[in-house]
Amino acid sequence: MMIREGLFNRILLWAITIAGLIVIYAPPLYLLAVSFNPALQPGVPRLSDLSLTWYAALPHERALVGALQQSLIIATITAVLATGMSLLAALAYFELRATRTAWFLTVILPMFVPGVIQGLALSAVFTRSGIKASTLTVIAGHLLWAMPFAFIVILTSFAAVRRSYLTAAADLGATRWRQFVDITLPLIRPGLISAVIFSFLLSLNEFTRAFYLAGRQNTLPVVLFGKMNSGASPVIYAMSGAIFLVSVGCVALASVHFLLRRN
Amino acid sequence: MAISIQVDHVSREYGPVKALDDVTLDIKAGEFFTLLGSSGCGKSSLLKLIGGFDTQTSGRVCFDGKDVSGLAANKRPVNTVFQSLALFPHMSVAQNVGYGLRLRGLSGSSLDSRINDALDLVELSGFGPRNVNILSGGQRQRVALARALVMEPGILLLDEPLTGLDERLRQQMRDEFGRLHKRTGATFILVTHNQDEALSLSDRMAVMHKGRIEQVDAPARFFDAPANAFVARFIGIDTLLRPEKIDTANGQAEATIAGQTLPVRADGFLDPAASVVAIRPDRLFLAPQGAPSSLLLTVVGTTFRGLHRDLKLAFSDGQTLVIAIEADADIGQLTVGQKVPVGLKPDAAVLVSSAGMPQAG
Repeated sequence: MMIREGLFNRILLWAITIAGLIVIYAPPLYLLAVSFNPALQPGVPRLSDLSLTWYAALPHERALVGALQQSLIIATITAVLATGMSLLAALAYFELRATRTAWFLTVILPMFVPGVIQGLALSAVFTRSGIKASTLTVIAGHLLWAMPFAFIVILTSFAAVRRSYLTAAADLGATRWRQFVDITLPLIRPGLISAVIFSFLLSLNEFTRAFYLAGRQNTLPVVLFGKMNSGASPVIYAMSGAIFLVSVGCVALASVHFLLRRN
Repeated sequence: MAISIQVDHVSREYGPVKALDDVTLDIKAGEFFTLLGSSGCGKSSLLKLIGGFDTQTSGRVCFDGKDVSGLAANKRPVNTVFQSLALFPHMSVAQNVGYGLRLRGLSGSSLDSRINDALDLVELSGFGPRNVNILSGGQRQRVALARALVMEPGILLLDEPLTGLDERLRQQMRDEFGRLHKRTGATFILVTHNQDEALSLSDRMAVMHKGRIEQVDAPARFFDAPANAFVARFIGIDTLLRPEKIDTANGQAEATIAGQTLPVRADGFLDPAASVVAIRPDRLFLAPQGAPSSLLLTVVGTTFRGLHRDLKLAFSDGQTLVIAIEADADIGQLTVGQKVPVGLKPDAAVLVSSAGMPQAG
C-alpha cells in the first residue's frame, strides 16, 4: 500500500517537474534549434541540415555586434555602479533607526515606476537640460532600474551581520573601516555577488528605458526588436543562440567550481 | 598590567529612563569584581560604559585615575567576553582568537605561538583550524575567552558569560574564570544575575537595583550586614520581619515582634517603622522541648528540599520565618499548628533598613 502510494506520488512529482522544465526550456531550445537551420524561414531543421551558416555570418553583422558590445559595456558599468551604490544604501539602512523604513521605500521606489514612464521622463529631463542621449544616459536609466533589486539582495545578505560582531571587533581594536573590511564585507559577499549578476542581467535585458535613452548606438534588445519587425535575417537567431549558450556555459562553470570546492 | 577603575558620579539616561543614577564605584587593580542584579538594574549599562561601547550622560569613568570618557572602545585596554559571544562566523577558531593581534600588526610565527598559548590556556589546544559554528556551547565560550585573553587586557569584562550553558558547564566555566583570574592577574569584572556565580568568584561585589548601587562589599559581608531589605532578599535572606518596637539595653538592641523579644544586631537603625529584622535561616535552630529559648512559634508547614528541609513557622501576628533543618534531623512529629521553641545563634538577626522591602502581603 505504502509503496504504491509512494510510487504514485513520485510519478506525479516527476511529471510536474518535467512539465515545468519543458515550459521553461522548450522556447529557448527551439530558438537554439532554429539558429542551426540554414533555411531563411524559421523552423526546426532536420538533423542532416544542421549548419553553422548563421553563426559564421554573425561577425559580419556590424549592427548586431555593435549592439552587443554596447549592451555588454552598459551592463557591466551598471552592475558595478548599482552594486556599489546599493552597498552604500544598505550600510545607511543598517545604521539608521527611526527613518529606516522611509529610506528603504525611497530606494526601492524606482522599481515600481513603469519603464515606459521612467524612460519618457528621463528622456524629457535630459533633453530639457541639454544632455545628449548617449551611453551614459542609458546607464543612468538602467541604474534606476537595477539599483532597487541590488539593494534588496544586499540587504537580505545583511541578515548575516549581527551588530554584536562589529562591537566585538571594536572591542579587539578594529576601527570602523577595519570592522567594515574584516567583518561586514566577508559576511555580505554572497549578496554582493548576487547583486552584480542581478543588475548585469537586468541591464542586459532592459528594453523600454534604453529605447528612450539610447544615443547613436542602440542596445542589443532594441536592435533585435527592430530587426525582427523589419523581416529579420536568421542571424538574430544565431545571436540569441550564442547568448543562450554562453549563459549555460557560465552556469556550468559555476556549478563545476562549487562542486570542486565542496570536495 | 592590571588596571584600576574609578566610576565617578556616573549617570546614563535614555530619555526619561535612568539606566544609571549617580553611580560611584572604585574597582581595585587585579580585583575580581562582580556587578550583581536582576535584569534592567543597570549592570550591563555600567559595563558598556567601562568597555567604551556607550557614553555616560554625566560623570566620569577613569582607568588608573585617567579620564577615559573620550576614548573609543577600540582604543581602550579592555576586552570583553560578550553574552552572545559574538564569535566571527566566517573565521576559524585561530582566526577568531588572532584577530585582535593581527590588528596590532602581529603575523607569522609570533602570531601563531600567541594564538596557541591562548588556546592552551582555555584547554582548546589543537582547535585552531576548526569551524567556530560547529563547536559545542562550552567550546564556543572558551574561544570567546581566548579571543579576549590573548590581548592581555588590563581589564577583562565578562557580560553574563554563563547564561545559556547547562549547569555542569556553568560550574566548569566558573572554575575556569577563577583559575584564569589568578593566571592573568588582570582586573576581572563580571556582570551576572546569578548570586552563586557572584559569591563564589568575587573578591568584592556590588548589588545593583534600579540604576543605583545598593551595597559594595566582600561577599561574606553581604550576609553579616546586608545594607537593606532589598539586598538581604536578593542574596537569599528571605526572612524579613517588621518589628513592633526596638529597645536598647546594655548596648544590646532587642526587637519585639508580635509580643516576643529577640536580640538583634543594630548598626544605627533604631526606627521600627523604617527597619526590618533580617534573620539568617542557617543561624536558627529548633530548641529541645522545655529548654529556654528565644521564641515560641507555630508550625505552618515543612518543605522537603533534598539535602535539608525548610520548616516554616509563624508568629502570632501572621509573619513567618523559615528554618533550614537537616533532612534526617530528629525533630519528632511536627503537626501544623503545634508550638515549637526556636533558638537563635549569635548574630542570627540583623536590623536593616526596610528600603526595597516589598509591601506586606
